[in-house]
Amino acid sequence: MNNQILNITNLSKSFGAFKVTDQITIDLKFNEIHALIGPNGAGKSTLIKQIVGTVKHDMGSIILDQEDITDLNDVERAKIGISRTFQVSSIIPKFTALENIVLSLLEKSQKTFQLFKSLNSNSKLFSEAKEILLQIELEDRSKVIASELSHGERRKLEVGLALAMKPKVFLFDEPMAGLDEIGTKMMINLFQRIKLNSPILLIEHDMDAVFALADRVSVIVYGKIVATGTVEEIKANPIVHDVYLGYEIT
Amino acid sequence: MIKEQFFNKWVFLLLLIIPAIGIIFNEPYYITLATKVIILGIAGIGLNLALGYGGLISFGHAAFFGIGGYVAAIMSKHALNGELLFEIPLAISGTSEMLIIWPLAIIISAFFSLLIGLLSLRTSGVYFIMITLAFAQMLYYFSISWPSYGGEDGLSMHMRNTLPFINTMNPLNFFLICLVWFFIAIFITSKLINSPYGMALQATKQNEERVKSVGIETFKVKLIVFVFSGAITGLAGSLYADLNRFVSPSMLNWHTSGEIMVFVILGGIARIYGPLLGAAFFIILEQTLGLYTENWQFWLGLILILEILFARSGIMGLFDKKINYE
Repeated sequence: MNNQILNITNLSKSFGAFKVTDQITIDLKFNEIHALIGPNGAGKSTLIKQIVGTVKHDMGSIILDQEDITDLNDVERAKIGISRTFQVSSIIPKFTALENIVLSLLEKSQKTFQLFKSLNSNSKLFSEAKEILLQIELEDRSKVIASELSHGERRKLEVGLALAMKPKVFLFDEPMAGLDEIGTKMMINLFQRIKLNSPILLIEHDMDAVFALADRVSVIVYGKIVATGTVEEIKANPIVHDVYLGYEIT
Repeated sequence: MIKEQFFNKWVFLLLLIIPAIGIIFNEPYYITLATKVIILGIAGIGLNLALGYGGLISFGHAAFFGIGGYVAAIMSKHALNGELLFEIPLAISGTSEMLIIWPLAIIISAFFSLLIGLLSLRTSGVYFIMITLAFAQMLYYFSISWPSYGGEDGLSMHMRNTLPFINTMNPLNFFLICLVWFFIAIFITSKLINSPYGMALQATKQNEERVKSVGIETFKVKLIVFVFSGAITGLAGSLYADLNRFVSPSMLNWHTSGEIMVFVILGGIARIYGPLLGAAFFIILEQTLGLYTENWQFWLGLILILEILFARSGIMGLFDKKINYE
């Protein structure tokens, strides 16, 4: 229990008669990447939404760093250390890449409600933001309006926004979708570094990336966790093959 | 393209030229017109903060405009007749001192903005529009049924409220007073939108879900701008009451909310001088087309349709195509 930073117990959500998540119990340990895989519509993204608080759960509990956050709203959860990326890129379209990152730094640096001080005088914010852009390899795109960034660049920016919050845990929803090989490699390296500070719950369809990154993998099908284990255990699990992977792992 | 800041300087010069023409040709009416433009411009600056920078389509800003106006007129009335405004819990008398009336108008408008904002900002989109409209209409009907302060007929002021050492009845003096307030409103707006808070505000307008996900309380962000917006519009209302030496329920009517919105849209949403340009254009249309037809608003409607179809950034946008946070 002590090495778990995020502990989700019996989390459930139904839309009418349809159970999107059905008594899901899953945890995230310090310094790990826990991948959540499963077919489309299995309930992965709904689970993320329940953890961040944008979808209200029907039952279950969420403990973050030994604090019960089940009844907190989405903003409170973000403040105490849950940082996410969206399945479909969600950025501030008319801000530059740099401004997007600065926005994400505001709350942690307690500057959101500075009403009359010039933003530009906060040079520390901008230098921090530039460092993050460097980490996600977007430093040469810092002045580009976010809506003009390519799809892959927007995915990177999403991760940058999450990084800037210096959270306790990351929830990444298909961060590598649409990235080219170089972009995927960059993300893999980045995730391996940042997990040492904040562990990652990762939803990803790129199985090569999942198997390269994950310390543990959980498989979700029809809103239920059907298997959890190391990469090797999951690869060897016949149920997982039947319901999701559907091919021989070599 | 002319840059927005360069264009703003021209607008400022024009503001000074019009009263100068009034003085040279001994036509104080021009000065009064320019004063009206500035006051309506201030009201527009107030709404522009919420609408332009915050994306809050308030159809109830007439409430704050009217509250500011009634504060000025009621205080003036009590100063004139010597009756106490309140006896319980404290005996408060009226005053004709602008230095007291302005802060009072700002505070009371801000208070009402806070109340209305606390309830209406829990909604969004069309519901927000309807709730703000409903609150303003409630105050409108309240003012109609308030006989102590003129009811439907409105309330006349014997003379303009006063300022130490300045004759406020002099049109040029009053113009300059309003001009100072205009620049204070511009200064406050400019400071707000260029601050970290301004960044959070403009981001909330674009993608509230994302802003929440980085831990920013967007409700608080919107409430703050709504209060500032209401307070500035309330100040404009108190100046407007002094300009006309008259207030009436029409200041609180939804037509007024619509007109303030038209100033913002005509001039350019989320452009700092946009509302002033919009107000000026509106008054020019009223003064010119109004000579030929009572139904000059028909042409205004046509212009608005054309603007929305072909020039969404308003008059300001025609001169400066910079990307903004609209």
